[in-house]
Amino acid sequence: MIHQYKLNGYNIVMDVCSGAVHSVDDIAYDAIELYESTPKDELCALLSQKYGVSEDEINECYEQIEELRQSGQLFTPDKYENMAPELKKRTSGVIKALCLHVSHACNLVCAYCFAGQGRYHGKSALMSFETGKRALDFLIENSGTRKNLEVDFFGGEPLLNFDVVKRLVEYARSVEKEHNKNFRFTLTTNGMLIDDEVIDFCNREMSNVVLSLDGRKEIHDRYRVDAKGNGSYDVIVPKFQKLVAARGGKSYYMRGTFTHANPDFLSDIKEMLDLGFTELSMEPVVCAPDSPDALTEEDKPVVFEQYEELAKLLIQRRREGRPFTFYHYMINLEGGPCIYKRISGCGSGTEYMAVTPAGDLYPCHQFVGEEKFRLGDIWNGVDNKEIQDEFEACNVYAREECRSCWARLYCSGGCAANAYHATGSVKGVYKYGCELFKKRIECAVMAEVERLDNDDSDS
Amino acid sequence: MKHIKTIKTRDLCESAKNGGCGECQTSCQSACKTSCGIANQSCENSKK
Repeated sequence: MIHQYKLNGYNIVMDVCSGAVHSVDDIAYDAIELYESTPKDELCALLSQKYGVSEDEINECYEQIEELRQSGQLFTPDKYENMAPELKKRTSGVIKALCLHVSHACNLVCAYCFAGQGRYHGKSALMSFETGKRALDFLIENSGTRKNLEVDFFGGEPLLNFDVVKRLVEYARSVEKEHNKNFRFTLTTNGMLIDDEVIDFCNREMSNVVLSLDGRKEIHDRYRVDAKGNGSYDVIVPKFQKLVAARGGKSYYMRGTFTHANPDFLSDIKEMLDLGFTELSMEPVVCAPDSPDALTEEDKPVVFEQYEELAKLLIQRRREGRPFTFYHYMINLEGGPCIYKRISGCGSGTEYMAVTPAGDLYPCHQFVGEEKFRLGDIWNGVDNKEIQDEFEACNVYAREECRSCWARLYCSGGCAANAYHATGSVKGVYKYGCELFKKRIECAVMAEVERLDNDDSDS
Repeated sequence: MKHIKTIKTRDLCESAKNGGCGECQTSCQSACKTSCGIANQSCENSKK
């Protein structure tokens, strides 16, 4: 299967199953499109006439296509479908990442919060050190031979429980060597409680920090307000700037959410850039379809255009020597994930789980509070095998719609929580999300092709 | 005349041979938390 598209002056052909990507001229673009449906002679005559070139020229192009097909870089057949359950098994059976909900409380009350203002539709709660310590032990015990273990301090607002965060990191550091593990910590924060101590701690211990900022002040303050309704922009922006300046090149992301209120989110990305931030992520809102915040069909063309313009901005700033990163446009064509990872997806419920302040286990942070998805707890492990099996069986080929989709090995079947909330099944398909994802991948691949093109012309 | 420029990419079919070590980053631990992005992760397999 192939996918071909034209964007920003590039003709791009992706060979889905081999992962190959080709940048082609107009003749090759049409020839590849006709290759499987049109006899060679007919194809050559057709394109010779269309482009006013000799049939020999088209024939030469045809031979290049043939060569690529024979070397497994075009029209590669899908050999993975039957292997999928076996491939997924190889990456499951061990837990390597936990989302640690150290705080089910928040000092902001963002209206669009998927976590119900941090409480996940339950009571406010903070995780005790003992529970957190047990969660870390549970992770070590269940991580098999995996060396790199990931723990994200999440909430609610995790800095409302900063003392426990510090003690848990200290505990993990004290035991990681004896177990031959390497903890990678991340923290996701709204920024309200960032101070010098937090900055020093994060820059020392967190391999990544995710900082919530929606972009323009009026957009940010529309949702991200305190209990009295005061916007948080003016409080957090200087704190984020100080943290990032002190970070010394270590990884961070400014992470925004865009909603029906700002489908023109490129303006928000530009605001982040103007504030001096260069590592950026902007996510479509996750909410009920009938919510006033939900993106609509009318928003879609606007969002698509914004993604295209964003890719052009990324290219332009890279050329000017002022590069920035957009999370969804990071694509590692040469050193990206193997086929196992691409088939298995995010690993929710199998190699990745969320832990509540009380120590309950859920398939991921987005399922917390949905009682039927409770997997078990950190003392007794997973006892809800039925639900875990459902996630275990969630590979890219488990979804009918994905089997024939060109993007399946880039999204791995998508987010189980999005699927569940859109369709009532973790094996469903959140179509709106798919369309946005496909547009992002097209933009990401185009921007990468442009970069490689430029590198070639420089050398 | 060369009509096709092939970008250097990882051969996914080949990756079936030595892949699956599981050391790579969990996608939701990075920056999204609300969508599934796999292709932007980097491989951490030392034996690939």
